[in-house]
Amino acid sequence: MALIVSGIGVSKGIAIGNVHLLNRGAPEVFERKLEDHEIDAEVERFQDAVDGAAKQLSGIRESIPEDAPKDVATFIDSHLLMAKDSMLSKVPIEIIREQQCNAEWALKQQRDKLEAVFEEMEDDYLRTRLNDIEHVINLIQQILKDQQFTMQMKLQPLKGSIIVADDLTPADTVVMQNQNIAGFITELGGPLSHTAILARSLGIPAVVGIQSARSLLQQDEPLILDGSSGMVLAGTNENTVKEYRQIQREQKEAQRKLSSLKNISAKTKDGQRISLQANIELAEDVGALKKSGADGVGLYRTEFLYIDREVPADEAEQLSAYKKIIRVLKGKPLTIRTLDLGGDKEFDPDFQGPLTQNPALGLRAIRRSLKDTELFKQQLRAILRSSASGPVRILLPMITSDNELVQSLSLIEQAKHELKSENKDFDENIPVGAMIEVPAAAISAHIFAKQLNFLSIGTNDLIQYTLAIDRIDDQVNYLYDPLHPAVLKLINITLQAGRRAEIPVAMCGEMAGDPRYTRLLLGLGLKEFSAHPSNLLEIKQIINKSKITELEKQTKKILATTVPSKIIPMVDALNA
Amino acid sequence: MINKDITVVNKLGLHARAAAKLVALASNFASEITLQKGGRKINGKSIMGVMMLAASQHTVVNIEINGEDEQQAMIEIENLFKNLFDEDE
Repeated sequence: MALIVSGIGVSKGIAIGNVHLLNRGAPEVFERKLEDHEIDAEVERFQDAVDGAAKQLSGIRESIPEDAPKDVATFIDSHLLMAKDSMLSKVPIEIIREQQCNAEWALKQQRDKLEAVFEEMEDDYLRTRLNDIEHVINLIQQILKDQQFTMQMKLQPLKGSIIVADDLTPADTVVMQNQNIAGFITELGGPLSHTAILARSLGIPAVVGIQSARSLLQQDEPLILDGSSGMVLAGTNENTVKEYRQIQREQKEAQRKLSSLKNISAKTKDGQRISLQANIELAEDVGALKKSGADGVGLYRTEFLYIDREVPADEAEQLSAYKKIIRVLKGKPLTIRTLDLGGDKEFDPDFQGPLTQNPALGLRAIRRSLKDTELFKQQLRAILRSSASGPVRILLPMITSDNELVQSLSLIEQAKHELKSENKDFDENIPVGAMIEVPAAAISAHIFAKQLNFLSIGTNDLIQYTLAIDRIDDQVNYLYDPLHPAVLKLINITLQAGRRAEIPVAMCGEMAGDPRYTRLLLGLGLKEFSAHPSNLLEIKQIINKSKITELEKQTKKILATTVPSKIIPMVDALNA
Repeated sequence: MINKDITVVNKLGLHARAAAKLVALASNFASEITLQKGGRKINGKSIMGVMMLAASQHTVVNIEINGEDEQQAMIEIENLFKNLFDEDE
């Protein structure tokens, strides 16, 4: 009978293999009182176990392949330091001598003491780091019990199996990576657990958070695991296995093809170079950015510097955050969007105001920045100063009227003036652009374009404001339609305004990252796409197979179509 | 002897990997290095000590260094904090 369980898919890909159960964890420890003459021998036994643990960890450290992510080595380094730390290597010896007890019991008491300290910590992440210490303690306990888990694992052929465990240590993952293990399932952990981070960096499919996985699944039973959806299938018939093998082959092939595109630039068949840029926000995106072969960052959201933290970042912290991305980009441009605070994203109680029914229409983005010019100028100064380290562009969100643009530009000039008098370096000619995300802005794009160096179409808001649809509202979200004739017209107007003013126009909304719309946008004349790094290679693949001259004719027809339902088949035809 | 307040700026705070980097750096110096936060004072060359400080993002840690190479040690330790322990955020 088939059994389907689902957990959290943390490392994508399909794994097909037989279950290998890992039953371990802390061995049960009992207290034994020692006679005086036994004590020295017990201390020595404990020291040997600590040395053994350190040796095992060093051995693992040396067997890390050179191309493995740097994190793997640092994980093991930290465990090695713990094994050598006096709190684990010396304090238990004192306990053995004082209480005349066995080494296992002494180590357990020290462990309980440490646990008490960690449990009082307020920071969630730091509190869970007790896991790191426990891994090392368990390793020592196991050696004391002669249960050298890692050694045992080395002896068993694990090739092609799916490891099912409570949790995995970094050391486990390193030992396993050379054994062609098909996949991992763990009972504990989330998307940020060791298992997840390491599985992703090693490219092994993994599902975590399946409680009691070890009692649900049986040793050696065949299993299918989907690391994207988090689904685990047991007891399947041959046909299902065949089906998944096919999907697995297709995914691998598609992935191989896509990653081969990383170092090729995006260029249409008729020779038009297209710039593919990344939208980034969080630290995870930086890793993805490096793998995406992006031509730069088209949208760097900066709200994380203000919200979900105790105090907003000051100029120095902002500068260091921007410089970090500049270093990763190695000379490719970074487009920093100034803060899009307000509405439902706010940190300052003075600006919370009455909870309005329509936060999207309230005091947010550039409107809020212009009401709190001190805060805004602080960010402008940080952005300007970062431009001394590499190419940086300033992007102003939600500009609606010329007045807002004039005010923002004058604040940028003021910030430049201040920096000059302080002898701080910045790029005098830093490009400034505006988001086009309000219908009024699209219609006024030709006026804005004269005062700016670039424009960037934010389709998410542009669609929401044009169609008066709140996408999070389940009752109307079916009306959210990027292909609505009015939306396409506004995009077209903006692109035309850019061409006339001879300034680049980018698109940084979700529409730019959706492969269904790539050809339509090419046909409309978009030459700068900005999307989440994970979408870029797929978009590039489409661009490199497209011919703009062929698409233009069809997109003209689409623009002339007023019936939304007719547009979808026309766009499908472009993609065929 | 010198001492200085340093703010933890990396997102995850002094977790295991960051602590490992700090301890590895501190161990290169002959000086005694202690870290203090709240009432807790620990040896900067002990990874467990550093982890038990529970220094999360934005907390201020007082670093006290005593010894012949104290100046250089302070500069390098401060840089490690400032560079977010080479983490991405």
